[in-house]
Amino acid sequence: MKNAKELSSLGDILDYAIAFEQQAFNFYTALQTKVSKRLRALVQELAEEEQHHLTLFQELKNNPDIQHHIATMIRNPPSDHRFSDYIHVPELDDFPDDQSILQYALGREQVAMEQYTHLATQTPEGAIRDLFQFLAIEELAHKKELEKRYYELVHSGGV
Amino acid sequence: MKSLFSPLKALSFLGRQPVTLPIEPRPAAPNYRGFHLNDWETCIGCGTCATICDNAAIRMVNITDLPSDPIKGFKAQRPAIDYGRCCWCALCVDICPTGALSLSREYVHVSLDLNTYFILPDNNGMHNLGFEKGWAKSSDSDLLDLKRKDMPELKAKERHSSFVEIVQGFDEKTAVLEASRCVQCGMCHDACPTNMHAPEYIRAIWEGNIEEAVRQIYRTNPLANICGRVCTHRCETACAIGQRGDPISIRWLKRYAMDTLSPERIKEIASEGKNTEKTHKKIAIVGAGAAGLTCAFDLAYQGHAVTIFEAFEKPGGMMRYGIPEYRLPYDKLDEDIEVITSLGVDIRCNVRIGKDITVTDLEQDYDATLISIGLHQGRSTRIPNSDHAQVYSSVALLRRITLQENIDISSKIAVIGGGNVAFDIARSLARLQRQQWGAVNIIVCALEAREHMLADDIEVIEALEEGITLLTSQGPKECKVVNGKLVGLTTIACVSIFDEQGRFHPKYDENTLITHEVNMVIEAIGQAPQLECLGDALTERLEWDKRGRPVINTDGGTSESWLWAAGDVVEGPDVIHGIAAGHRVANSIHQYLSR
Repeated sequence: MKNAKELSSLGDILDYAIAFEQQAFNFYTALQTKVSKRLRALVQELAEEEQHHLTLFQELKNNPDIQHHIATMIRNPPSDHRFSDYIHVPELDDFPDDQSILQYALGREQVAMEQYTHLATQTPEGAIRDLFQFLAIEELAHKKELEKRYYELVHSGGV
Repeated sequence: MKSLFSPLKALSFLGRQPVTLPIEPRPAAPNYRGFHLNDWETCIGCGTCATICDNAAIRMVNITDLPSDPIKGFKAQRPAIDYGRCCWCALCVDICPTGALSLSREYVHVSLDLNTYFILPDNNGMHNLGFEKGWAKSSDSDLLDLKRKDMPELKAKERHSSFVEIVQGFDEKTAVLEASRCVQCGMCHDACPTNMHAPEYIRAIWEGNIEEAVRQIYRTNPLANICGRVCTHRCETACAIGQRGDPISIRWLKRYAMDTLSPERIKEIASEGKNTEKTHKKIAIVGAGAAGLTCAFDLAYQGHAVTIFEAFEKPGGMMRYGIPEYRLPYDKLDEDIEVITSLGVDIRCNVRIGKDITVTDLEQDYDATLISIGLHQGRSTRIPNSDHAQVYSSVALLRRITLQENIDISSKIAVIGGGNVAFDIARSLARLQRQQWGAVNIIVCALEAREHMLADDIEVIEALEEGITLLTSQGPKECKVVNGKLVGLTTIACVSIFDEQGRFHPKYDENTLITHEVNMVIEAIGQAPQLECLGDALTERLEWDKRGRPVINTDGGTSESWLWAAGDVVEGPDVIHGIAAGHRVANSIHQYLSR
């Protein structure tokens, strides 16, 4: 989806979503060895959550109901580039702190949520729209959980 | 002759109908003092009724399925009445802080079973007969004084350009009158994180025995000058008098006792019962904040040799370098610390762990170590240009103000944050701004709406009185920089901050951006610990939680047997919780060393 084409097939979109989750999982997994043990539990949990999403997306793609629609062409959202940005490894410091890590995670969830919400609006009623709406809700729920954690972490003490 | 025939007169009644009186009792007077009624919804289980009962006719009974919350001030207890003892004086009704208790107009109970004279009254009355209230609380009979005595404070114009203490303290007469309002229910004791003996010291103040008051205070609080000024006073939230009126000024009464007695006499009282035999055990404490100082006090009291390593110039942690002097004068802080050092605690300032001495040194040279380093690193919003030189961390700036460093105060300042720290820095800068510029031009941009702000109400009110402008529901978007110069702060309207489940989930109106023309921005959104001082090796050995804090047990023990952690670095959020944690850790360390 990084290219400028207007339409993508459902199969391509799901492949891209899987790559999106895979990349994040790989990133968090690699980060665990770089950060202080103090942050390892946080990063490990983020990796586990991405693993959960990755498995979910793969199962969805292989679902027979979805397979029927795999070639359906869908209009790409205008904010596509932001989604693509997060496919790449983020520019975090060599020794990122907890706030940077959570900000990155929040950014990912935000663009993913926007992406799926937009895709749902571009899709006629039916199984595919339901799928995108489900994915948007999933990302929103994850984002809310991260926001709560961010609030507790950053606003803890002294306020 | 008449008297001779009188007995025969009785014969004249033989043919008459007998007169039968109904067995139902006559209706009682409207304010009759019959059997008790108790509204369980209003009753908080404080036990004041039981305390006042001279006949010991009332006993508080635990009710297992009732909710209990000492912080909010209600217990799962209700009064049970023994009618073998009750004299229906109604003092229990007149003293009841909530007005839950009353006496009904029901007064007949006949039974050979003595157990039936011991009842747990509710709203339905003794026999579920729906008798109305008789004697109930009225303004004439209420024994409580619901209005607290005024505390003299400096008016805004008297205080707004200096750091002189705002609250002036009670005089003797006012303190005694305020103390006389207390009903000794002990709800405050249960709500206090360190379970201060507030009823006891309030009673001692009422009796005019200040030495006894200080003695009661020192049973659980070695930082009483400080807590008498800046404690978050959960005790007052739980105070039973607060159910219908103003809670007792428990914090100010503590302050009165401490201010009244000489520091030298306080030292003598604090050391009463101290173990004079040395245990020859050495304890290192890193950080001289509330938790560290309390732990040091307790362990020195037990006869251990305690050394505190403090990174800053003077001890006190955030109490010195975070709380402005107009709330907590430094000499009062020093008085508390001098009591602790008088017990033999050695405080070494300007010693940085990880630089001047390592944790490995502490592990080798001491029998136990406590980490209580607080949260001294300000969090940044990390919005664009927040790394500009004119964007400051609130905690760093507060520290510089304490150190009386020369600060170049701008004429227009924005503070980001809605908590107490945001108001501490805003109000401190307002004083300096007024001194340097003759006027105040400071805005506080809080993400929260006014009703959800984290700062204490009094902080907000006093800040507004001092000329500070509060902008609520504003999220920081960008620090505006033109030609390398900070020219403003752009904020975005926050439409809502929490979702329907009450979780933090801010929503913004992207169309409502405001740029505030300022040349200095202060970030006061939160703080972080500086745990790098522990070193890589210990960091790897320790267990950490998901928020990057050392995992501790209920006594503050970490995964390393020789190491404890307490205070803001692991728990927060205020001085009194730090004191409570300091006690827990000291007890745990003492037990560890006594094995």
